Amino acid sequence: MTQPIDTSIYAAITEAIQAEAKRLLSEGQVSVVIGYAAGRRKGSVQPVVVSDAAIADKLIFTPASVNNLAVYLTKAKKEIPKSGKIGVVVKGCDLKALVGLMGESQLKREELYLIGVPCAGVLASTVQPDTVLTADTIASKCCECDAHLPTGCDFVPNVTLPTRPQLEWKYAAEIARLEALTPAERWSFWKEQFAKCIKCYACRQVCPFCFCEQCLCDRNKPQMVESTPRPAGNTAWHIVRAMHLAGRCAGCAECERVCPMDIPLNLLNRKMAKELKELYDYEASLEVNEKGPLTSYTDKDDQSFIK
Amino acid sequence: MSRIGVFICHCGENISRTVDVERVALEVGKMPGVAFSTDYKYMCSDPGQNLLKKAIQEQKLTHVVVAACSPRMHEKTFRKAVEAAGLNPYLCEMANIREHCSWVHENKEEATAKAIEIVGMMVERVKKNRSLPAITVPVTKRALIIGGGIAGIQAALDIADCGHEVILVEREPSIGGHMAQLSETFPTLDCSQCIMTPKMVDVANHPKIKLYTHSEIELVEGYIGNFQVTIKKKARSVDEDKCTGCGVCMTKCPQKKIPNKFDQNIGMRTAIYVPFPQAVPNTPVIDRENCTMFKTGKCGVCQKVCGPGAVDFEQQDQLIVEAVGAIVVATGFDLYTINEKPKGSAIKGYGEFGHGKIPDVIDGMTFERLASASGPTGGKILRPSDGKEPKQIVFIQCIGSRAREKGISYCSKVCCMYTAKHTMLYHHKVHDGQAYVFFMDARTPGKSYDEFWRRSIEEEEAVYIRGMVSRLYQKGDKIVVMGSDIAVGVQVEIEADMVVLATAVMPQKGADTLAQKLGISYDKYHFYSEAHAKLRPVECATAGIYLAGACQGPKDIPETVSQASAAAAKVMTLFSKDQLEREPIVARVREAGCVGCFACKKVCAYGAVEEKEIRDRQGNLIKVVAYVNPGVCGGCGTCQATCPSKSVELDGYTDEQIVAMIEAL
Repeated sequence: MTQPIDTSIYAAITEAIQAEAKRLLSEGQVSVVIGYAAGRRKGSVQPVVVSDAAIADKLIFTPASVNNLAVYLTKAKKEIPKSGKIGVVVKGCDLKALVGLMGESQLKREELYLIGVPCAGVLASTVQPDTVLTADTIASKCCECDAHLPTGCDFVPNVTLPTRPQLEWKYAAEIARLEALTPAERWSFWKEQFAKCIKCYACRQVCPFCFCEQCLCDRNKPQMVESTPRPAGNTAWHIVRAMHLAGRCAGCAECERVCPMDIPLNLLNRKMAKELKELYDYEASLEVNEKGPLTSYTDKDDQSFIK
Repeated sequence: MSRIGVFICHCGENISRTVDVERVALEVGKMPGVAFSTDYKYMCSDPGQNLLKKAIQEQKLTHVVVAACSPRMHEKTFRKAVEAAGLNPYLCEMANIREHCSWVHENKEEATAKAIEIVGMMVERVKKNRSLPAITVPVTKRALIIGGGIAGIQAALDIADCGHEVILVEREPSIGGHMAQLSETFPTLDCSQCIMTPKMVDVANHPKIKLYTHSEIELVEGYIGNFQVTIKKKARSVDEDKCTGCGVCMTKCPQKKIPNKFDQNIGMRTAIYVPFPQAVPNTPVIDRENCTMFKTGKCGVCQKVCGPGAVDFEQQDQLIVEAVGAIVVATGFDLYTINEKPKGSAIKGYGEFGHGKIPDVIDGMTFERLASASGPTGGKILRPSDGKEPKQIVFIQCIGSRAREKGISYCSKVCCMYTAKHTMLYHHKVHDGQAYVFFMDARTPGKSYDEFWRRSIEEEEAVYIRGMVSRLYQKGDKIVVMGSDIAVGVQVEIEADMVVLATAVMPQKGADTLAQKLGISYDKYHFYSEAHAKLRPVECATAGIYLAGACQGPKDIPETVSQASAAAAKVMTLFSKDQLEREPIVARVREAGCVGCFACKKVCAYGAVEEKEIRDRQGNLIKVVAYVNPGVCGGCGTCQATCPSKSVELDGYTDEQIVAMIEAL
C-alpha cells in the first residue's frame, strides 16, 4: 500500500523563492542566492549559485531538492563571493547544520540571508528523481524529521504544511534491532558494513561539519588513519567520523545519500545522537549552542563509565 | 643523526631487584640511534650525574634518556644535569622503570623485557624532541591566604612582615578559627585566647594585610605568579567603615535566643552579633535568617540605636577581584558530627552513642567551650541538660578515627592529647569529680607530650581504661556507659553525669568545592594533597598554591604553625624573583591546518586560547585561527586531544612522538 504525500505546496514555495531571490538580488541585499535548479535529467535537481536577478527564476523547490546547501558555505565556498551577504535556501535539516556551524565559529548569522522552506519531505536516494513522493519513496531521514518548519529565518514562504500520513521510523527500528544484538553480533554487522568502504571520502566531502581544511585522515606525519581501503583503516576512519560528528550531526543524511557502497552512515550518526541525548540530554537543534556536550564539563555529566 | 645516551639506574635495589639492568643497558645499546648506554647504582647521586655529564661531552650525545623513577621524582634533576653539560634540558626524557615496572612486577624475566620496551619507547620519543627555550612570566608579589585560623594568620603575618601584600579571606565574620574556641592548650596549659588574640590584632593592624571576613572564594583564574581571584564579600548589613564596635545594637536586639555556633550552640547570641567578644574585626554582622527585620520587615531596633548609622539593611553581596601571585590554602578542619551520616559518603554514623539525643553527651570542642573562661558557662563545667556540675565524667577516644569499618581509617592525632588536657581541666575545676577515659592506645609523640599524658594519670587522677564503649544510654539523670577493659578482660559499666566524645578531625565542609575552584587535588576524605609526602609537604601539585594546617591532614597547633611558616617561606621564595621561569611544555597551533572552530578554546581550563587574525600584506582578513598564550598555557594537552584536525600540539608530547612511542612497542 503506497500512501502518497502531498507536495502541492512546493509549487507555491518555488514561486516565493524566485520572487524573494529576484528582490534580494535586484536590491543588492545579497551578492548571491544559493538554491536548487532543474538538472539535465528529467525531474532531477542540482545546487545552483544565482548572482543575477534576471535568472532568479531558475530557482525551484521539488521533492528532489535533496542536497544540504550548507556545505557551499564552508569548504565548497570557493565558488561564493567573499564579500556581501549570502542568501541560502534551507530546509529544516539544513538549517540545523547551519546553526551548528554558527556555534563552531564557521558562519556568522549576520552574513547570511536565510530563505526557509516548509518541507514535507524529499525523495530517497534510491529512487529516480521524477518519482512521486510517497510513504515508500520518501527519504528515511524525513520520516523522523522534527523540523518541517524552519525557525529564525529571514524569509519563509507563506504556505500551510499539509498533514502527512503516519510514516515508519526506519532508523529508530534499526537502532533498536542492533541494540538487541550481542556486542559480538553488532561488531560483525558494522565490520561487514565498513568492509565495503572504498575510502572515496564522498561522505566527508558532502558533510557540512567536515569543514577542516586539512583532514587528520590525510595527514602522513604521523599517519593517524591508514589511507588504503583495508578493513582496519576503514573502521578507523568510520569511528573517527562518527566520533567527530557526535553531538554535532544535524541528520541531513547527505553522507548516506552519496555513499556509493550503501554503507548506512546515517544509522551510525543517529545512534551517536541517541547516545548523546541519553547521556547529556543534548541534540542538534535550531538554537545556537556555544558549547557542545563533548567540549563542556558539568558536575551532572555521566560518570558511570569510570570503574 | 641522533646520538642518544641511555642511563639506567638501579635505584639501590628498587629497580635492580626485579629488572636485570645490565641486560637492559646491553639491549638498548643495540637500538638504532643509541650511541651510549650504561647502568649505575644511584643515577641521581653526584657521581651518577657526573657520569651522565661526562658521557654527554665525551660521546657527543645529542639526546638523553634516563631510565629510572617517575619523572615527577627526578626529571628536573636530570634536566638540570643535562643543561650543565651543554645540552638543552628538554632533550632529556625519563623512562619510568620503577613505578611503572620494577615496583609492580615480580617476575624478573618479564619485568626486564618490559623495561627494555619502556626504554625503547622513550628512545623513539626523545629522537623527536626539540630544544625548547624557557618561558618567563612576571610575578605578582601579593599573596592570597584562604582561611583565617591560626594557620592563615601565621602565614599572613610571616609574608606581610617580609614586606609583601597579603589578602586574607575568612568565611566567618571573625578571624580566629578553631583555636579561638579552645580553652587552654596542651602541653603547657596556656590560655588559647591569650596567645591567639594578640596575633589576630596584629593581622588587623598590619599595613600590608588586607582582611576580608564574612567572605568566600568565588572563582580562581590564572596560574603561578598571575592568579586573578574573585572574592564574594557577603553582605554584613553593617558598614565596616562607620561601625565603631560599641555593641549597643547587640544589647538592644530583641532576638536573643539564637544558638551561637562559636559556643557549639550551647550559648545564645542575638541576630546582630559578633561571634565572640574578642572578634577581629569587631564589627557585628546581621544573621538575616534569624533577624526580625529581614523576616517580617518590621523591627530595625539596631538601626535606630546605632549612633554612627552603620546598620544598612540594603547592603548587597559584593564581588571583588584581586590579583595575586601565590595562594596559601589554610581552611582547617571540622569535627565529625557522629549522629549524622554524610550523604553519599562511605562514613557511617555512631547512633549507639546517642550524640544529639542525650543532651549530656557532648564532643570535645563543646567541652572546650564549657572550660573556657569566655564560654557560655564562664568557665564552669556544667551539664547542658540541667546546669549541674558532673561528678563522674567519661571521655571516649577515637570516635570515628581509626575505625575502618565506620569509614575513617586515619588517626585524628590531637585527641589523645586534648583528652588528657580535658581530664586535667576537669580535675582543676571539679575537685571531687572523677574522670574516666576509654582509649585504644595513647599516642603522644611530640616534645613534652608523653610527660603531659602521664601527668593526667599520675597527678590529676584520671582513670584510663583500655577498651572501647559499646553503648550509652540514659538512666534517670545518669548516662550508663557500657564498655570493656581489655587489659583486665572484664566488662565495665559506669554511671556518668556527662560523656565527652573525642570525635574525628575531618576537612571543612565544602573542601572539595574549593579544591575544584583552585584546581588542586584531594584525598577520599577531602583533605588536600601535598605534592610529595616527604619532600614537598606544603606545596600543591598545582604550581603557586601552598597548604598550611589541618586542611591537609589532622594537626596540632605547633605543627600547624610550623607548616604555615613553611608555606610562607615557599611564597617568599617565589616572590624573591621578578620573573618566573616556567617549563616550556606548552601547546602550539599549526596555523595552516587550523580552521578556527575554537573547540580548543572551549575546553581550555586555563583560558590560554585566544583568537588570532591572519591577514595578507594588504590587510585583508584571510582567516581567524586559534593562538595559545604560552604564559597562560598549563600544558595539559586537552586542546590537542580535542582538535578535530590535529592542528594544535603540545611540545614534548606531539602526535608524532606519541605515535613513534606506540610504534616502538
